[in-house]
Amino acid sequence: MASAPTSKYNSHSLENESIKRGTFFILIDKEVIYICPFNGPIKGRVYITNYRLYLRSLETDSALILDVPLGVISRIEKMGGATSRGENSYGLDITCKVRDSVLSYEGHSRRDMFEILTRYAFPLAHSLPIFAFLNEEKFNVDGWMVYNPVEEYRRQGLPNHHWRITFINKCYELCDTYPALLVVPYRASDDDLRRVATFRSRNRIPVLSWIHPENKTVIVRCSQPLVGMSGKRNKDDEKYLDVIRETNRQISKLTIYDARPNVNAVANKATGGGYESDDAYHNAELFFLDIHNIHVMRESLKKVKDIVYPNVEESHWLSSLESTHWLEHIKLVLTGAIQVADKVSSGKSSVLVHCSDGWDRTAQLTSLAMLMLDSYYRSIEGFEILVQKEWISFGHKFASRIGHGDKNHADADRSPIFLQFIDCVWQMSKQFPTAFEFNERFLITILDHLYSCRFGTFLYNCESVREKQKVTERTVSLWSLINSNKDKFKNPFYTKEINRVLYPVASMRHLELWVNYYIRWNPRIKQQQPNPVEQRYVELLALRDEYIQRLEELQLASSAKLSDPSPSPSSPSQMMPHVHTHF
Amino acid sequence: MEFAELIKTPRVDNVVLHRPFYPAVEGTLCLTGHHLILSSRQDNTEELWLLHSNIDAIDKRFVGPLGTIIIKCKDFRIIQLDIPGMEECLNIASSIEALSTLDSITLMYPFFYRPMFEVVEDGWHSFLPEQEFELYSSATSEWRLSYVNKEFAVCPSYPPIVIVPKPIDDEALRKVATFRHGGRFPVLSYYHKKNGMVIMRSGQPLTGTNGRRCKEDEKLINATLRAGKRGYIIDTRSLNVAQQARAKGGGFEQEAHYPQWRRLHKSIERYPILQESLIKLVEACNDQTHNMDRWLGRLEASNWLTHIKEILTTACLAAQCIDREGASILIHGTEGTDSTLQVTSLAQIILEPRSRTIRGFEALIEREWLQAGHPFQQRCAQSAYCNSKQKWESPVFLLFLDCVWQILRQFPCSFEFNENFLIMLFEHAYASQFGTFLGNNESERCKLKLQQKTMSLWSWVNRPSELSKFTNPLFEANNLVIWPSVAPQSLQLWEGIFLRWNRSSKYLDEAYEEMVNIIEYNKELQAKVNVLRRQLAELETEDGMQESP
Repeated sequence: MASAPTSKYNSHSLENESIKRGTFFILIDKEVIYICPFNGPIKGRVYITNYRLYLRSLETDSALILDVPLGVISRIEKMGGATSRGENSYGLDITCKVRDSVLSYEGHSRRDMFEILTRYAFPLAHSLPIFAFLNEEKFNVDGWMVYNPVEEYRRQGLPNHHWRITFINKCYELCDTYPALLVVPYRASDDDLRRVATFRSRNRIPVLSWIHPENKTVIVRCSQPLVGMSGKRNKDDEKYLDVIRETNRQISKLTIYDARPNVNAVANKATGGGYESDDAYHNAELFFLDIHNIHVMRESLKKVKDIVYPNVEESHWLSSLESTHWLEHIKLVLTGAIQVADKVSSGKSSVLVHCSDGWDRTAQLTSLAMLMLDSYYRSIEGFEILVQKEWISFGHKFASRIGHGDKNHADADRSPIFLQFIDCVWQMSKQFPTAFEFNERFLITILDHLYSCRFGTFLYNCESVREKQKVTERTVSLWSLINSNKDKFKNPFYTKEINRVLYPVASMRHLELWVNYYIRWNPRIKQQQPNPVEQRYVELLALRDEYIQRLEELQLASSAKLSDPSPSPSSPSQMMPHVHTHF
Repeated sequence: MEFAELIKTPRVDNVVLHRPFYPAVEGTLCLTGHHLILSSRQDNTEELWLLHSNIDAIDKRFVGPLGTIIIKCKDFRIIQLDIPGMEECLNIASSIEALSTLDSITLMYPFFYRPMFEVVEDGWHSFLPEQEFELYSSATSEWRLSYVNKEFAVCPSYPPIVIVPKPIDDEALRKVATFRHGGRFPVLSYYHKKNGMVIMRSGQPLTGTNGRRCKEDEKLINATLRAGKRGYIIDTRSLNVAQQARAKGGGFEQEAHYPQWRRLHKSIERYPILQESLIKLVEACNDQTHNMDRWLGRLEASNWLTHIKEILTTACLAAQCIDREGASILIHGTEGTDSTLQVTSLAQIILEPRSRTIRGFEALIEREWLQAGHPFQQRCAQSAYCNSKQKWESPVFLLFLDCVWQILRQFPCSFEFNENFLIMLFEHAYASQFGTFLGNNESERCKLKLQQKTMSLWSWVNRPSELSKFTNPLFEANNLVIWPSVAPQSLQLWEGIFLRWNRSSKYLDEAYEEMVNIIEYNKELQAKVNVLRRQLAELETEDGMQESP
């Protein structure tokens, strides 16, 4: 390693280092000038470990000025040449994913630093392991145990006499991006499934995501049918959808939500895809939800970054925000999910959701609809299960969308689809402050580790690869961190309510930019973290517990006194008001 | 005049009321001198009880014999009444129009209202200037009460009693008054106990184009400076606007004549522009055509949040001069009755913990708005739906309340009152059964004999049963200066006012209830702990007595 870790620096930097189990070692420590986008140049000492890069000020109490997991870095560039003149003209320019922070620094002998950073920020290009495989953190809870598909389906009351669990995909040979365990109609045989798979993009056949506990309508997810230019039909697929429809006899039609805009669905025919036509699927009604593709979302978020970083666009803030269209996309995703939820809950109709491949917009819609319909997913563990099930196990391509350890920052496959989903969840939690067990910090922590590469949770594109890489054996789960420290992530206002369906208002008037996430690095924006109301409420709850405890102690003491043989003027039952803990 | 003359049809049956988020109600519509009442016939419960003075504008239309009246209220609510019978509908509409635009203040509801509650404390005497002055006089002897305006002769928009620098006599005040717009000579607005610095306010100096000066004016404001100290004059107008004002006889303080003062110009818009902004904003909020993709653009185009930002920035600047620079300030715009008061009162919210309590905030409104002569009657005569081109209306006070709400949002535990308190004040400024916000200044209020003939809003608000609705359960006294953020991302549309009638706040209310419950429960628990502890102590002493021979 370039600069040997001396014990002096080690102890100095370990104070804030939560990863201490041998995997962490200093690669570099060096004096640099950090060009802070908010406060100008700051002299500091930079430390790079195999997990993160951080910087301590040399001026103000060696304060931690910057702390970035290497996984967050999307690009490292050299700026200026050895001969360039002028201030701050020679150094490295480091750009981060999503987090609106760029580190520019000035300092000579940047070569080691450049090389080390590139190696450890982009391990894939150097045949190095991603940090999660080196991380030996231990938690007292094992997050990998949170999601067990059989248990989750059992919770939903499955299998039942209409739906069965199939192991046809046990070795991922039916569909390599689906999980091993699938829930399909009882009346469809495994051979039927194989035939349907030939007609669905990447063999992602319609399978059950969620079943309504009372009316037994279902949310089914899949990819687009391979209709193509010639308008191909597939009797097995048509029959299969009819079988799905017949599992619920309340409504004579199956509702299909195609997440894409109509024109895009039509355009997909040219590449062999398409949508279910009325002619072929008599018993289905199809609606388009007008949600745009991953490229549009990526560009939209990029525009958001442009208006908040490094300086927040002040003079035309609202119209600049409008021109990013980010909130409009949020609105469309939420509106789509509301339609799915409403169809299932009030329309009593089973719903089939797909987009093109069924791993981006489809995951957003099914998971958000499930969040609206099923209060279980609004608890901390329930939400983890939701993410684990609808996103991770059903093959949202986290590795491609995030680019873990990959240096190709301009890869067209990258897109903030999962972030957008979390943003939608945040919007819901704003509108229903008592409905979710988790707080804002929980959501931000999930997003932080979506990029950090500290945990194995979001690594790779699908379950089959994860199994091959033995992710659950070789890495730690993010849920281990969260579940062993649950109090930090709890919403004190949470009042558990079973069976309430939440319909958020998906109107632009009620959607906000998530300032605490997108603009949290800007020191000029007043930070309300943790939220003072939440904090105060937690204090009040603690006070309550303290009172109850003290009451009990006093009651004990006084009953002990009263049970003394010494005569007492009044009977204990009259004297002791009993504590009714009605909370 | 008899109200009966204006009411041709006092009562119509089978009227249907439509409101957003409520099912339609069929019932009987009654008009009285001051109210429009609709009660459903089924269970005879009251459904709607609307003050005519709350009605801003009405539209009517007919489909066959069924008439529809759309009533737009000053609190931005819009309701619809379907009235069978064209004649009835026309009669009702013309009565509402006449009754909601009565010319004479003495015909307004406060002069007829008889309270159903027992008055514990007469609000008219809750905030007397002498009492307010006592709060200062313990800390400083540099100021005195002046009765120079006893008969409202020196300044018609000032109260009879004002606080001025001790060395300046009443004769000098009279001279200064002739040099200041509307006779509004510089008076004390706020005394910062921490360092003795002050906020003064006034009207613009009448320098005119030839640069008139007034020795007494210079002497007066210099008298507020400590030796060797400099002060700041904050002109709420841009330099350009201030310069133009000279042509009309107004102007600003020239450096040459006020060498110890540094002048700073900000640009808070004048009241007609604020009114335009309100109309645009409310239009955008009520647009149901669902062309929502333009919402943010329209919100921005209304400029409402820009005005909020400008006002808050100026207030922060004023507070900064006092607290950080340790300098006294004089604030004025043109008349000194609008933007000036926004700034002086908000600066106090920032600086003075007392003004964040319920009592203190009421005192602030009384002192800095009512007695300081903000023309409520003119400004609040109409609201966002008025189409008559009366030119005095403006949401100056609403903007102030909105700014307070923005600070409250950023410091949710530092205020003793909650959002409902601010909404209540907004409602009563525009339409009320109480006399507090009637008239344009103390002089008019005296002539109207409001104290004798009407009830004060504070008499009602300060009863414990009402106060409990307005108390912030999270309040924890915060003795610090609080600096709000004015970055655009920190400022938000006040949904509780502007989207109040087209949103359902059920879930937010539930969270709030939950919080109130837990606080109540904690109080109960604390009481029980105390009782038990006392009993235990008694038992112990009894034991002691029994043991002792």
